[in-house]
Amino acid sequence: MVPFGGWEMPLSYGQGTVAEHLKCRSDAVVFDVSHLGTVRVSGAAAKENLQRAFTNDLDKITPGRAQYTHLLDSDASVLDDIIVWWIDEETFDVMPNASNTSIVIEAISGHDTTESRAVLAVQGPCARQRVQKLSDEASEVPRFGVRRINIFGTQCVVAGTGYTGEDGIEIAAPVEIAEKIFDALLAAGVTPAGLGARDTLRLEAGLPLHGHELGAGITPLHAGLGWVVAWNKGDFRGRAALFAVRDSGPHRMLVGISTSGRRPPREGCSVTHSGHKIGITTSGNFSPTLDHGIAFAFVDPDHVEPGTAVEIDVRGTDLQGLVVTTPFVMKRSG
Amino acid sequence: MNIPADLHYTKDHEWVRLNGFTARIGITDYAQDALGDVVFVNLPRIGLDVLVGESFGEVESTKSVSEIYGPLAGKVIAVNTTLDETPQLMNSDPYGEGWLCEIEIGDVSTAELLLSDVQYRALIGD
Repeated sequence: MVPFGGWEMPLSYGQGTVAEHLKCRSDAVVFDVSHLGTVRVSGAAAKENLQRAFTNDLDKITPGRAQYTHLLDSDASVLDDIIVWWIDEETFDVMPNASNTSIVIEAISGHDTTESRAVLAVQGPCARQRVQKLSDEASEVPRFGVRRINIFGTQCVVAGTGYTGEDGIEIAAPVEIAEKIFDALLAAGVTPAGLGARDTLRLEAGLPLHGHELGAGITPLHAGLGWVVAWNKGDFRGRAALFAVRDSGPHRMLVGISTSGRRPPREGCSVTHSGHKIGITTSGNFSPTLDHGIAFAFVDPDHVEPGTAVEIDVRGTDLQGLVVTTPFVMKRSG
Repeated sequence: MNIPADLHYTKDHEWVRLNGFTARIGITDYAQDALGDVVFVNLPRIGLDVLVGESFGEVESTKSVSEIYGPLAGKVIAVNTTLDETPQLMNSDPYGEGWLCEIEIGDVSTAELLLSDVQYRALIGD
């Protein structure tokens, strides 16, 4: 168990990070992600409130769907990256990162329901099949769908979302039945997985982590996430500053780098090209699926072409690398 | 924790199998458990001089890097190259197939600094 954002969480369960990671890509695992925040925003003004606060456009979706979006600071830095579950017309569950929950609450008001529920993420090509043993309905929630579903006679919210690049669902359940659902998932053959696998999976899937690829001084444009921004939906927090970045062009860009060999690149390593420093890594690890190292890095815009040869300085040793498109590992299903 | 009685140990969680003037070295069950899945081993090169307490290699897991410290004074005479392709042997068989390297002992008095299995067990509170 390790401390994580104010919570105690397992790094891995019995089998270790690599085994749990591979199980997610081949079968199904469950993560206890109850540490994430849930902010319930409801009422007639809820939708407008979120439209003005976040970058993405809820008019692209309808009630019963989920959307990935950003909360920006006035300088267009990403304060948090968020999934919004639009449950019904006037009810939204906003899911910030654990450590940013209070910042998000400040921005949108709403009711912090984090302590009253648990969130279990069941991910993998066999996730739905195994979840079916507990609940047919939960197993059928479509990708990016959001549904209220009774599991063991208690109302839960289930969404077709995840952070692994695999198909799967996330179950938000009242704490009273959380353990029962977790036990039932294990009995259905789902393998429990911890923080270690969560990070290697999201890295392979090319998904950003706030505090690494997103954060102070980093806008959605720097991180290659321009698609999260709805330029024409009307005003939202940070819009003016973001336009300025768009006009001048970001001075650095996020890229994926594959390194040769098993030695993992890590965050905070210098990236060089022909002897000149061109950037710095933000995340890095060994990829259990690919059997070599992978990393995210911010580099100067002249060197972002896939195929560019670079070196990453890992504690004094240069790793040979190549700029690649992400995700590093394509989704297998869903 | 598996702590074989026929081996010696260091406070840096390495085991040593003494065999006359040579020694075979690896990391203990306690070390592999704390490290997690080993994904890369930076093997020392053959011929390298090893000094007691000085780092001469690295073992890297998904979550961290650990230095390997010289348990004895001597010279590296063999390395376990199977760890290049299957570093996870350090987790699954730390005292057998997961061995790290062999040293020709230069100063046998340094062997007296090693811990017995009983002393190592006490150190890790087993």
